[in-house]
Amino acid sequence: MSKFTGLAIFLAVGILFPLLLPGYLSLAITLLLFASWASAWDVLGGWAGQSSLGHAAFVGLGAYTIALSATRFDLAPWWAVLIGMGLAAALAWAWGSLTFGLRGPYFTLSTIAVAEILRLIAINERWLTGGAQGIFIFSLREPFGLDLFDRQTQYYLALAYTVIVIRIIIGFAKGKFGYQMRAVREDEASAQAAGINPTRVKLQAFMISGALTALGGAIYGVFLSFLEPHDIFFLPLSVQIALTAIIGGRGTIWGPTIGAVLLVFSAELFRNIFAQANLLIYGVLILVVILFMPRGLMGQLEHRIIRRRYARSTRS
Amino acid sequence: MPEVLEAEGIVVRFGGLVAVNNVSLRVQSGQILGLIGPNGAGKTTLFNALTGYAPLHKGRVSLLRRDVSRLAPYARIRRGMGRTFQIERPFEELTVLENVLVPAFLNTSNRREAEALAWQSLEKVGLADRARQPSADLNLARRRRLELAKALAVKPQILFLDEVMAGLNPPALKEMVTFVRGLSSEGLAIVMVEHIMRVIIELAEHVIVLAFGEKIAEGSPEEVTSDPTVIEAYLGGSDD
Repeated sequence: MSKFTGLAIFLAVGILFPLLLPGYLSLAITLLLFASWASAWDVLGGWAGQSSLGHAAFVGLGAYTIALSATRFDLAPWWAVLIGMGLAAALAWAWGSLTFGLRGPYFTLSTIAVAEILRLIAINERWLTGGAQGIFIFSLREPFGLDLFDRQTQYYLALAYTVIVIRIIIGFAKGKFGYQMRAVREDEASAQAAGINPTRVKLQAFMISGALTALGGAIYGVFLSFLEPHDIFFLPLSVQIALTAIIGGRGTIWGPTIGAVLLVFSAELFRNIFAQANLLIYGVLILVVILFMPRGLMGQLEHRIIRRRYARSTRS
Repeated sequence: MPEVLEAEGIVVRFGGLVAVNNVSLRVQSGQILGLIGPNGAGKTTLFNALTGYAPLHKGRVSLLRRDVSRLAPYARIRRGMGRTFQIERPFEELTVLENVLVPAFLNTSNRREAEALAWQSLEKVGLADRARQPSADLNLARRRRLELAKALAVKPQILFLDEVMAGLNPPALKEMVTFVRGLSSEGLAIVMVEHIMRVIIELAEHVIVLAFGEKIAEGSPEEVTSDPTVIEAYLGGSDD
């Protein structure tokens, strides 16, 4: 089995999905966005071990860049996406340079401030962002004749986005960069003894993570087509991105995606079945996973497989 | 013999406390330098100053005739240092092989080449049969050997061993002594901090004795062990 088998199956199912269940496109787009955001978050939070609670900042940056490019500067959406990713990487670099001296929870706390600062900018710089009233994306150029407001187009864009993010993670998972990040996560002093510059590795991880999140933010912006600072630079959004990855399994290839399937579906299901009680059940679910599977679903599974494989090899 | 490491007038201060005061030393390739001294003498601090883990207040560290005094630990490692930690620090979530893969990637970006290098290191320290085991499950003696395998995988010119013998049972201790001697006979320069006097006498060609951060004696193992100031420092000031 090649390391891309899983991704190929995922892509095949993804391509067929709208043909089989055309009524669930919006839900599927939400799921794909959360899967990719959580995967992108996980590059920094899981692989490099620096938990961020500010990733809504990157979502917002991507979304606002495409909205402003279309409405204020009449820039084509593909340029806007690239600019958004560039801005996100620059923000990650600046933020990381300032805060990677901080350890553990202090870095995490500082990330909450990033999204908050961007939210305040979005509210107050009315000339640019439309302020607290928000901004409406009313028209977008059509790349290759694609109507970006069409749900099916958005679905396939989100699918392509997820595949790109996971492909990138598979690319480094078993290679030099993947091990450098894991070493930094486990023990920075020991990583230095292996010739690794921890700050540099963390910055790279942060920039990749931020840029990829912004790419999804652009798709999200078009999907919503109406942006409000309070909604998009929203702490609960940051928290949900982080939780999705943590529950699914940090530092694993498919963990964040599994987490997204679980959380997005259960949120939807519980809302329909239990109405008012849905948040309670959602909370209990999160608690159960964190208490009994601290590595997350895929993390726990992977851990068990490694142990079992080793145990079996010693028996023979 | 080419000089691998040269340190001049090393001073390390933590606030008002002078942890290491004006210590100089040299190590040539194939030579084992032993650092001994009672508890709190500044052995590990000196060690950390040489490898970049403790800030130098004054002094100069040269590695292969290049000044590395201002370089971060990772940069010194890239220029030819390798080190172990007194309290072993495996990457706990990684397997034994993956642990060694991390430093092996310093020499190549190719996974296959890095893996070959990691296997070499593991075979050298006798951990190859444990390669797939989660490193968190290793016992003390094997954790020590894993530390060594990691330090060797960067292909260092000089190896810093921080109490690799402490806590080992007699057979494991004997194995480790033979192993370290083997490394030095291959031309590796070695600096070792050690508590066990017998080990130092057996291994080191040159010994530096520290007490309260100062070098109080220096010479061959026989010379320093018969030096009255050393005996006094150990019997008078030590609590172990």
